[in-house]
Amino acid sequence: MIVYQCENSLEGVLTAIYQAYEEKCDHADTRISLEEEAFLFAEYRPVVTDAEKARKVTRTLLRRFGEEDYQQLCLCLTSSDARRGQAVYQTVVKGLALRCGKGHLFDQLADADVHLAFSLARNAGRELHHLMGFLRFQELEEGILYARFCPKNDLLPFLMPHFADRFPLENFLVLDEQRNLFGVHPAGKDWFLLRNEQLAAGEENFRTSARELRMEELFRYFCKTIAIGERRNPKLQQNMLPLRFREYMVEFALYKSSE
Amino acid sequence: MEFLSDRGSMGLMEKLGILTDAAKYDVACTSSGVERKGNGRDMGNCVKSGICHSFSGDGRCISLLKILMTNECIFDCKYCLNRRSNDLPRATFTPEEICTLTIEFYRRNYIEGLFLSSGILQNPNYTMELLYRTLAMLRGKYGFNGYIHVKAIPGADGELIRRTGFLADRMSVNLELPTADGLRKLAPNKHRKNILGPMRQIQNGITANQNELALYQNAPRFVSGGQSTQMIIGATAETDYQILSVTESLYRQFELKRVFYSAFVNVNQDASLPALSGGPPLLREHRLYQADWLLRFYGFQARELLDEKRPFFNVLLDPKEDWAVRHLENFPVEINRAPLELLLRVPGVGVKSAKRIVAARRSARLQFADLKKLGVVMKRAVYFITCDGRMMYPTKLEEDYIVRNLTGARDRVQFGNDGMTYRQMTLFDDGGFLGRPTAEDELRVVSGQL
Repeated sequence: MIVYQCENSLEGVLTAIYQAYEEKCDHADTRISLEEEAFLFAEYRPVVTDAEKARKVTRTLLRRFGEEDYQQLCLCLTSSDARRGQAVYQTVVKGLALRCGKGHLFDQLADADVHLAFSLARNAGRELHHLMGFLRFQELEEGILYARFCPKNDLLPFLMPHFADRFPLENFLVLDEQRNLFGVHPAGKDWFLLRNEQLAAGEENFRTSARELRMEELFRYFCKTIAIGERRNPKLQQNMLPLRFREYMVEFALYKSSE
Repeated sequence: MEFLSDRGSMGLMEKLGILTDAAKYDVACTSSGVERKGNGRDMGNCVKSGICHSFSGDGRCISLLKILMTNECIFDCKYCLNRRSNDLPRATFTPEEICTLTIEFYRRNYIEGLFLSSGILQNPNYTMELLYRTLAMLRGKYGFNGYIHVKAIPGADGELIRRTGFLADRMSVNLELPTADGLRKLAPNKHRKNILGPMRQIQNGITANQNELALYQNAPRFVSGGQSTQMIIGATAETDYQILSVTESLYRQFELKRVFYSAFVNVNQDASLPALSGGPPLLREHRLYQADWLLRFYGFQARELLDEKRPFFNVLLDPKEDWAVRHLENFPVEINRAPLELLLRVPGVGVKSAKRIVAARRSARLQFADLKKLGVVMKRAVYFITCDGRMMYPTKLEEDYIVRNLTGARDRVQFGNDGMTYRQMTLFDDGGFLGRPTAEDELRVVSGQL
């Protein structure tokens, strides 16, 4: 068996796929591994991430499977499941071999690898959709909007385009607390990612603006008032809005006194 | 929970409280149906699927800033909290206040847009104009490009409604009660004609706009998210069959996007309204929504689900199961061969899983283990399907047997706060019968009454 060990990134996996095809491997007996995995009698080949090779693979995937399925493959790779690289690799192999048309990459759900890639992507997609709604911005002193969150999947690169499209003329900052990754959007410009421990550490110094507290209070009051007492149903609420998101949401914050 | 209150006279906080409280019985809080990218200047975009931003204590989604413009209403509808004859604090937002709230909430990603309804202030035209002015200000001066749902006020001038429609993504006129008779009884100031009039007008507006858009891509969009309506369930004596028939005709004849149902909450304790000892009829509302989905996505018709002889939904079975056990001649369905329309009729198979089945069986013969991966709910589907001609377990294709198993050991969806569930009683069940028999009981046992 051949095991390709690649960097944990989209480009890393795509390069590994390129290399597997280039070296004419038997795909059934080849793995792509993103983490330290030990196999008996395996030949390990390290993969050096190559932007050009990754671009070529991307082009093929887009041409053969279309935009939507390509997005799903990318979403699958945001997962933290150790098998994500392998699932994507096998799905691509099967899709190319079967010549499934655009939008039909995930049709063969009876297949274990395709199903795994599908469910990882679905899981990430659901969290992404949740976060589009549950992310909360605070206004800092200079009018900058600032949000923190801690997703299970590495979704910041997917979240930024949505908010950049929504708030084109706002300066905003989104921090993935677990991965110490900032998404930065300067008003009227393109967004970018920033890995900066110093900025993350200095986070306590961020001051909220004067009217921020008032807006938070207004919204908390709105959320409380909009509930119909006769229909109270905390269990349903928790099903729809899991507790892990609430840490970051103002309407579930306890009463804060104004400093 | 405590809240920081405003300093000063009738502050924004207090107004928001009053006018949110007044709007909370409105059901529709969806932001779906419109896909609109940002234009690079204004704040906001719309996402086709809609986005829920929070969930309130009753488990309903908070997607839009749902408020009334005013609760100073001249009407006196018996079911409504804001009726003229109720003595409660009244307030009216200014358009600026609504715009500020919307923009500031939207920037912080609290909401997906605005849901603006209103009591009737002075007269319908005056109110509608107020709504129009607010929307015009929000779209124009404040450059808001997010989702707006606005009520068309029955009885308002057609031109006002038309102009408002060009600013909104969705409009709705509330039907309030399913029949004209009920409306006459409970809402003396509203007339069926006044409600259906604007509904028809919006429908025609949408059709005309679609034709226009086909010609000129950049023509202004009129109510691009379609229109919706809502009905109160359980305030009057209508049967489920009547309600569902009304719904069906609304979808067919008025091309509505959604019909919402609102379990009646008796806020006024009015003598002409039913007293609901068991709380609002939530189960009934739930069954209606289930049937509503069957109408819209599963190709069912109202008279297949209910008829004059059985005008109410089964309490224990959902409408699809109920239909299936009464039409066993269509089952079992062979998963590897049945057409999509038939797959959609199998309980436990949804629209998505039916489509996945059709896609997946092109490349493999599906087995029961695969079906679970495709999202089929096996505990419901198992009585109605075969894979390669075999059933999963030896089950009988018999109405009584299936009903007993479907309603038996399964966990039911929970309704309301009492966690009410359904459970098959067994001979050895002593739940609820604790306590020693009294002397009276013994006497009744002896006399054969018990």
